[in-house]
Amino acid sequence: MINKGGQSVRKLLMTLSLALAGAGLIWGIVMTRGGEWIKTGFRFFTGEGAGLSLTWKVDGLTVFFLFILLLGQGLSSLYSIGYLKEYEEKKKSLWPFFTGWFLFLGSMFGVLLADDGFSFLLMWEMMSLFSFFLVLYEHEDPQNRKSAYIYLVMTHVATVFLTAATMFLYSKTGSFAFEVWAGVVPMLTTVQLNLLFLAFFVGLGSKAGFVPFHIWLPYAHSAAPSPVSTLMSGVMVKVALYLFFRLVWLMLGPGPVWWGWLFLLIGALSALVGILFASVQSDLKKLLAYSTIENVGILGMALGSAFLARSWQNDWAMNLALVAFFWHALQHMLFKSLLFMGAGNIIQATHTRNLERLGGLLRRMPKTGLAALVGIVGITALPPLGGFWGELILFQSLWLNTLELTGGWSKVFLPISIGILALVGGLSLATFVKWFGIAFLGQARSNVAERAEEAHPVQFITPLLVGGLAILSVLWPAATLEFINLPMSVLRTGEVISIGSNLGKPLFMTSVYLILISLLTVVVVVLTKRGTRRVTATWNCGTPLTSRMQYSATGLTKPIRILFSKAVGSHRHVERNFVESSYSLRSLRYEGRSKEVFEDVFYRPLIHGLFWVASQIRKLQEGSIHLYIGYLLITVIVVLILGR
Amino acid sequence: MDELSISIPRLLMGFGHLALILAAAPLLQGFIKKSKAFWQMRQGPSILQPYRDLRKLLKKEELISEHASWIFLLAPRIGIAATIMAGLVIPNAWGWAPLSGWGDLFLFGASLGLVRLFITLSGLEGAGTFGGMGSSRELFLGLLTEPALLLGLIVLAFITQTTSLQGITSGLETISPIFIPRILALLTLGIVSIAEMGRIPVDNPDTHLELTMIHEGMLIEYSGPSLALLNFAEQVKQLLLISLLAQIVWPSGLISGSNGLLGLLWALGFAGVKVAVLGFFFATVESLFVKRRLFLLPNYLATSTASAILALVSLWFIRGQI
Repeated sequence: MINKGGQSVRKLLMTLSLALAGAGLIWGIVMTRGGEWIKTGFRFFTGEGAGLSLTWKVDGLTVFFLFILLLGQGLSSLYSIGYLKEYEEKKKSLWPFFTGWFLFLGSMFGVLLADDGFSFLLMWEMMSLFSFFLVLYEHEDPQNRKSAYIYLVMTHVATVFLTAATMFLYSKTGSFAFEVWAGVVPMLTTVQLNLLFLAFFVGLGSKAGFVPFHIWLPYAHSAAPSPVSTLMSGVMVKVALYLFFRLVWLMLGPGPVWWGWLFLLIGALSALVGILFASVQSDLKKLLAYSTIENVGILGMALGSAFLARSWQNDWAMNLALVAFFWHALQHMLFKSLLFMGAGNIIQATHTRNLERLGGLLRRMPKTGLAALVGIVGITALPPLGGFWGELILFQSLWLNTLELTGGWSKVFLPISIGILALVGGLSLATFVKWFGIAFLGQARSNVAERAEEAHPVQFITPLLVGGLAILSVLWPAATLEFINLPMSVLRTGEVISIGSNLGKPLFMTSVYLILISLLTVVVVVLTKRGTRRVTATWNCGTPLTSRMQYSATGLTKPIRILFSKAVGSHRHVERNFVESSYSLRSLRYEGRSKEVFEDVFYRPLIHGLFWVASQIRKLQEGSIHLYIGYLLITVIVVLILGR
Repeated sequence: MDELSISIPRLLMGFGHLALILAAAPLLQGFIKKSKAFWQMRQGPSILQPYRDLRKLLKKEELISEHASWIFLLAPRIGIAATIMAGLVIPNAWGWAPLSGWGDLFLFGASLGLVRLFITLSGLEGAGTFGGMGSSRELFLGLLTEPALLLGLIVLAFITQTTSLQGITSGLETISPIFIPRILALLTLGIVSIAEMGRIPVDNPDTHLELTMIHEGMLIEYSGPSLALLNFAEQVKQLLLISLLAQIVWPSGLISGSNGLLGLLWALGFAGVKVAVLGFFFATVESLFVKRRLFLLPNYLATSTASAILALVSLWFIRGQI
């Protein structure tokens, strides 16, 4: 009876979350049809008191990210209706989850809407805390507790930088309002401006997952329950990136050229490091989390290209870079949600996240598999789906940026970043062939994979729906561009040009390509339909085939691990036990690992340094009463001198 | 009405382009085989043998592994469709491509990427070792070739100031054939094409030996019509790469002043000769070298990336922009 009550609460609350998202979306679409407030902004909540004035504002930029947030919320709520059933069956209380869920979503809304430093920091901190609680929801697993702990520490390091920037601006202006801050920016010295930028860069960049502040991300995103992972990877990183526009692009202004280079460099580094580590993972969700770092890197590169074009006054390239950013942000939200949902289904069906124990799931979970296939085509940036078109526009923007420059070595470095993006594309192909191929194709590698069953209908309908949306966004690019137009009109100064007409034909290629390739495939399928087919055993040189003969997840990307062994810190340990001579082996133990290089080269020395400083400071506190009296004496003298 | 009168001839021209690619691909394969036979002092099979092989395979019964899923049958079909899509942006004998607009050079690389995705997935379908081995190596090669392919084409795009392949080949007509960046870009694309076509020293198309095979490893479970489609897709890809290279070495559209049917045929014949010469060149390269070990390939392909970057630097240097 109690169980039944719990079930209806789950359905009720998640449907409520879904309905809220749906209502928000519809209301938003109706509201955004025209209206001056898209460009100028609309303040709808102002409260004063205790010396603080709080304002919330909506403009075109906010609306776009609200759209991503609402869409992400709706989809993951729908998915949760099925996903949370398992916890219910395990008799695990869902109330902490619901509380965290709604507060997490609410605080993300708050961050997007905040128009002053105080409410921004408050909401930002709430967003971090409630997502921390959600990561900790499955706290029974010590691994998850460790992940949540790393997340908590890293997220507060980020907040320190943001608080410092806020405090600085408050001390300059005596106000928290973004509007007032923007007014004071032209008066700042170059050093102050650059320091502010760096504080925002580190603070927001760690939340977005830029390398080298990324180390929390693979832990936290993979430890959270799958619906929460979709929100964190699909939405939360974009909320952090949104603030780059709000606080850096709009407030700090164009800035020097090196800001753009920093974005481009860190973006390229994040993309490369993210996908490299993703390619050597064997954990279903950790791989996806690392791929989020890659995609954040690609978004960072788009930002970099936009910033560079802005400082070089290359309007066309800037437009393209911004369109690429928003397009990719939307597509990544769709595909990453889809893949995390797929991973969630697999984990519920097999209770393992280890790729080495999966295999052959496409026959047992056909619908999840179909959705996941759409997901990997999208996430590896291949046509005909949306991931590719975003990258195409980014390529084009980098290309134009280079072409329009009058001279300098930038003309070499920018095209090299195109090469890096191509390398990232190749690596992500390998990564997701591994993710999909090892999990869904071939033979089952363990009993759990053999016994897997298709998930609850809601759990495969939702990812299929996401896939459908992704296809729709490509089939009807004009509608997608309408949404991208909203933030564009805020970010660009000067007259509003409809991007749709400006991009013109190339963007309609998206639908042309999709239709043509589908037609061609259908024609080929029909033409080769005749003939007989027979199911037989796999050819294996005449010996029986066991499931251990297939390539493993580790084996599939072994060449990559060898080529980039320094970067991924691959480590191999072989122990041989011989009977008597070295010809008869008794046992062999092999261990291969790759480790987070950044933890070793960046964080460990940092932590050691901090501990060292702390231990030095501790020497002040010797425990001797004479020393303390001496301190008092010194203090009194110093105060007397200062207060003279 | 006006649009209709433009789009119908374009549609017909598109079909002509398609038919040309599909018809010529096996012929080129036959010609390369014949050229290799020439260097090996053999008579070799007839130039038309690839057509006969395809016909034979299409009629045969198809064997499917018991572990395979629907992707096994879908992969060859998507593979051929995506290869054809890549072909739609490559300018043909008349310097015309059905799909052209900005950025279609990226479309070319990405369409080949889509083929790679599905074929590497199908390699994992049979649950055997050979397929996985082929997929693993193909993915490794893919990530090495993709940057070089794109950078090589990008340099050409900078030379001609357009990112459309049709624009690039027509723009190159006014550029000197010994312009250094152009030669370096050509070197890049030549090296990459060898890897993409699966030829020596990267892969050996003639063996099914476990130690050497990459492409053949992935196809090992295929038979009948699906195998025919995969082989055909590979031949089409080969034709596309070689004709792209040919158009870059010596771009030629409709030879001026000779319109009409004669002009069309003349352009076609000229393009055919160019492609044949390049095909013979690649057959010669294949006969002169040996296949290299897998882990020597990063160096080989890094050469191509390096020469692309060198092309870029030299281009800006010559134009006085560095």
